[in-house]
Amino acid sequence: MTDVESPPAVDEAASAETPIGPVETARPGRGWRSGWKVERRLETPWFLEVAAIVGAILVAIAVSAILIALAGSDVLDSYRALYNGAFGTRNATIETLVQATPLIFTGLAAAFAFRAKVWNIGGEGQLWAGTMGAFWASLIFAGAMPRALLIVVVMAFAAVFGALWAGIAAVLRTRFGVNEIIATVMLNFVIINVLSYLLSDLWQDPASFYYQSERMPDVVALPRLFEGGRLHLGFVIALAMAAVVWFILERTSFGYEVRSIGVNPRVASYGGIISNRIVLATMLVSGAIAGLAGGSELTGIHLRLQLDIVSGLGFTGIIIALVARLRPVGVVAAAIVAGAVTNGATTMQLSTGVPAALVDVLTGLTLVFVLIGAVVVNYRLRRVSIVEGQA
Amino acid sequence: MNDYVSTALAVTVFVGAVRIGTPLLLAAIGEMVTERSGILNLGIEGILTFSAFIAFVTVDRTDNLVLGVVFGALAGVLVGLVMAVLTVTFKVEQVVAGLSLNLLGVGFSFYLLRAVFDNAASDLPSVRTWDVVAIPGLSSIPWFGEVLFTQHWLTYVAFAMLPLVWLVLNRTGFGLELRSVGDAPGAADLRGVSIERTQYAALAFGGFAAGLAGTFLSIFSTGLFFPTIAAGRGWIALAIVIFGNWRLGRILAGALFFGYLEAYQLTIQGQGTDVPQQLLLALPFVLTLVALVLNRTRSNVPLHLGVPYLRGQR
Repeated sequence: MTDVESPPAVDEAASAETPIGPVETARPGRGWRSGWKVERRLETPWFLEVAAIVGAILVAIAVSAILIALAGSDVLDSYRALYNGAFGTRNATIETLVQATPLIFTGLAAAFAFRAKVWNIGGEGQLWAGTMGAFWASLIFAGAMPRALLIVVVMAFAAVFGALWAGIAAVLRTRFGVNEIIATVMLNFVIINVLSYLLSDLWQDPASFYYQSERMPDVVALPRLFEGGRLHLGFVIALAMAAVVWFILERTSFGYEVRSIGVNPRVASYGGIISNRIVLATMLVSGAIAGLAGGSELTGIHLRLQLDIVSGLGFTGIIIALVARLRPVGVVAAAIVAGAVTNGATTMQLSTGVPAALVDVLTGLTLVFVLIGAVVVNYRLRRVSIVEGQA
Repeated sequence: MNDYVSTALAVTVFVGAVRIGTPLLLAAIGEMVTERSGILNLGIEGILTFSAFIAFVTVDRTDNLVLGVVFGALAGVLVGLVMAVLTVTFKVEQVVAGLSLNLLGVGFSFYLLRAVFDNAASDLPSVRTWDVVAIPGLSSIPWFGEVLFTQHWLTYVAFAMLPLVWLVLNRTGFGLELRSVGDAPGAADLRGVSIERTQYAALAFGGFAAGLAGTFLSIFSTGLFFPTIAAGRGWIALAIVIFGNWRLGRILAGALFFGYLEAYQLTIQGQGTDVPQQLLLALPFVLTLVALVLNRTRSNVPLHLGVPYLRGQR
């Protein structure tokens, strides 16, 4: 109040709010207390994000243990059986990778689209489109070209069919303003009926009563990687796709545009990015990857088109993408974990009677806890000193 | 050809339209209220499945139909509240949270089904169902009596919800607050409206209505449960809210339209037809897309739909 130059007629209320110099009421040692404050981190260290995912998986395992106990089985025995079924022997480990293969594709398909906040929920339908493309290509070209070329063509058809099916939803969104979530879900329901019709008519195995095609010629089968075990070339293609997706997203201008419209479409448009064009391209790429999952499963494992061979893989891919926080490397890791659980659950059901459907609960719970964990690690508790009377 | 037309006009098809439209109507009313508070709940399909299962198990174990409705509805409220914890409290992206609840709802039901019924999926029991309640007097009106007044009591409840929800949304303080939270949460917050409490309430109501819809599927219309019992109805309800432009009258029209479509399809399928069954099954999903393309009025979309509210941020 003494050494500050202030106009003589200071409003009294204002000066009371911003006291200058020592304030009499704030005596040293009085009026201070320490407390905790929740505040947002400016930057979240990577190890915390990893810890959140690991923690989420552990919590999901703990909650699922309750469900196992409710089903009347021994929890430790069940989880031991699950682990042994997944990694107990060399063959079990190979089979785990077999189960992981389609999930890497569908996980990448979802992750790529979600990075642009393009909500492609149609991985399931695009995967079915891929199996149909692959099947059709093998009908046309089997025997007409050398094996290596044939495999390339069959997989290309799978990718193109997946992309086209996704493209319908993309056009519905960009041209007609139809929400892509609804569009892709509806198209899932449509294509399963289309396939069912084809398998009851044009593509039905005349020797069979069931809705299934004839067995495809061995020449289109993807080569196996090892003697014994079903692991096939599709696994290598899946890993290569993970690298390609990473490269596109992180090292190309298209990937930059994809990520930009995901962060803020309006700012992206100021930067000259035409949102609709990127949405369309994103959906086509995402659909192509999902289509490859169909081609890989059909020619790597089943060699016969049936109605239930790949059901659910598209949806599990969504979970995997989200658990992996939309990162390609994470997708591969999460897909292998999910493949292990799927594979181990069969053993678990046989030896302890816990329904293999536990897999769906376990993965679903993991996702929910990962979502919560991902938010929580963005905040921290800090010990702060709080002046009494001030907030 | 004539056959298809006379079937299309048959009374039984219209009776079926109202019955089959009931769960769509319930779920769509609940979703509309939820969306009006600014939350997009994509988990409807999961809620339908889960509540259908809970109602089914309850009746199977207790043989008490009232208890089945109570627990079925509560199951829906429960999932709605989980959605609230995720999206309102933790601000998880709404699309992501809704999708995960879908997957979890279906997964849980499937697991519990196997756990409760000893892996014997092939010979699941069927349970008792509610009987149709003919309203005395009104049900003897020609045509209308049969179509509108010889239905399940939950159908009457669904229809009664329309004016009630309209009144609450448009003529009460709470309704005004709820709509303001969806349109301008910043302003609502400034006026002292609790954003969180309002959105929790809206999600609980949406879950309740979807829970009733799921309950209708298992212990009113079929007496069965199977993991695909919702068969896309949750998604169609979401689409109905969109092309219904968040208005109750158009939502009713949408629900009845899709109810009619399915009733017609079931009838001509029952009569035997040359049209492939799969084409008929795919038709509702194709028509949903057509309806969304043709009907692009979105004037009532809540302005803050899907955007989490963080005080102090735009």
